[in-house]
Amino acid sequence: MKKLILLSGILFLVGILFSGCGKDQSSSSSNLLQEVKGNDVLKVGLMGTYPPYNFLNDKNEIDGFDADIAKEVAKRLGVKVEFVPTEWAGMIGGLQAAKFDVVISQMTITDERKQTLDFSNSYITNAVNIIVDEKNNSINTLADFKGKKIGVALGTNDETFLRNEVLPKIGNFEIVTYNDPLTSLIDLNAGRIDATINNIFAIKPLVDKNNLKIKKTGEALKQDQAGVAVRKGNPELLEAINTALTAMKTDGTYRNIFVKWFDVEPE
Amino acid sequence: MEMILEDLPLFALGTYYTLYLTVVSLLLGLMIGLGIALIRVFSQNAILIGLSKGYISIIRGTPLLVQLFILYYGLPDIGVKLSPMTASILALSINTGAFLSETFRSSILSVKRGQLEAALSLGLKKWQAFYFIIMPQAARVAIPPMGNTFIGMLKETSLVSVVTVTELLRTSQLLIAKHLVVMPFYISIAVIYWVLSAVFSIILVKVENRLSFYEN
Repeated sequence: MKKLILLSGILFLVGILFSGCGKDQSSSSSNLLQEVKGNDVLKVGLMGTYPPYNFLNDKNEIDGFDADIAKEVAKRLGVKVEFVPTEWAGMIGGLQAAKFDVVISQMTITDERKQTLDFSNSYITNAVNIIVDEKNNSINTLADFKGKKIGVALGTNDETFLRNEVLPKIGNFEIVTYNDPLTSLIDLNAGRIDATINNIFAIKPLVDKNNLKIKKTGEALKQDQAGVAVRKGNPELLEAINTALTAMKTDGTYRNIFVKWFDVEPE
Repeated sequence: MEMILEDLPLFALGTYYTLYLTVVSLLLGLMIGLGIALIRVFSQNAILIGLSKGYISIIRGTPLLVQLFILYYGLPDIGVKLSPMTASILALSINTGAFLSETFRSSILSVKRGQLEAALSLGLKKWQAFYFIIMPQAARVAIPPMGNTFIGMLKETSLVSVVTVTELLRTSQLLIAKHLVVMPFYISIAVIYWVLSAVFSIILVKVENRLSFYEN
């Protein structure tokens, strides 16, 4: 009798264990795409502090290029979108911990990140260009920097690039450092420096708000591509996102969003 | 330490700019300060006095960093483009001028009125009485508070790093961005600032002793 009780007890425990496992398996096997559709919401992690890509608008709603892309993707998946504002440093951790389903926040596709995340096809190419006064036609390449004053925000990748790669090659130009990109652009507009380098999309809100008369010039100095980041092991969701992105590009919706935020045609 | 020795020329250049800014702004500030103090003590012109009071109130009542920003980034909107160095010297001199004018005013007022009356009764003209009798006595009283302003100014030159002048602070920030190490550079410039202000103090003590000649 005692043995029977013991045995049934063990069986019971094992049963619990297995049922636990079973539950676990079923949740990871019912794929994330179905889960998103079941919950009728796509949770999107983004910074919310990076205009014009993603930021709080006048109505305190998350807005911007990334936000519009996210809304359109969600629409094509047939679900609502929910934005989860997250600091950049916690973005990948938040995705891994399933605080949100995807990251649409200018996350650049890199080989390093691909080891821990999956990326959709790229939805935007960001470039760093030479930026000059609207009327300046004499600076078009890095070689034209010779003898000029080039402004850049202190401590940025752009500053490192100018100092470590451009300066040794071209030589003999002055690097003028600012505390932030905005002051370097204002000084460029005032004509106290000859050029700066920056991502023309990222600085667009600054240029518009301050009515700066500046333009990008020449070929892109470097380019990177951002994609929608998804936790590894969710090929169905990734596939659905890629389909949505492709469809957006084909039917012109993507173009409209792009022009709305950047005032230029997508390349 | 090696990093610092390797970049010694940059530190020397930064120190040069800091000293240059300090000395030039101090000289200009002294002139502005003296002028304003004279207006406030001797002038009968209500408009001049009002302007001086307004100047002191505005300049002492707003941060130097803000004044610098307005001079450098604000003025181009109305077509006035100052070079980084000019804007810095202007902002620093206008700022010290306001503080020094109050120092001078109080030191002039500290000389007893009887001195002026005695001088005038001896037949000196008003400017003579001021130049030969009041000024030497007032100058000695003014030295210790001037020392405060001078040393304060020396350190406040660090603010002009925001308008792209590569003085000591900006030098260290550039080196930090290059080496990705912070403390050695900040500590280095702290030492340099301290040495500079110590030298300033010594000079001021010498000047004060020299002026005490009139006391004996």
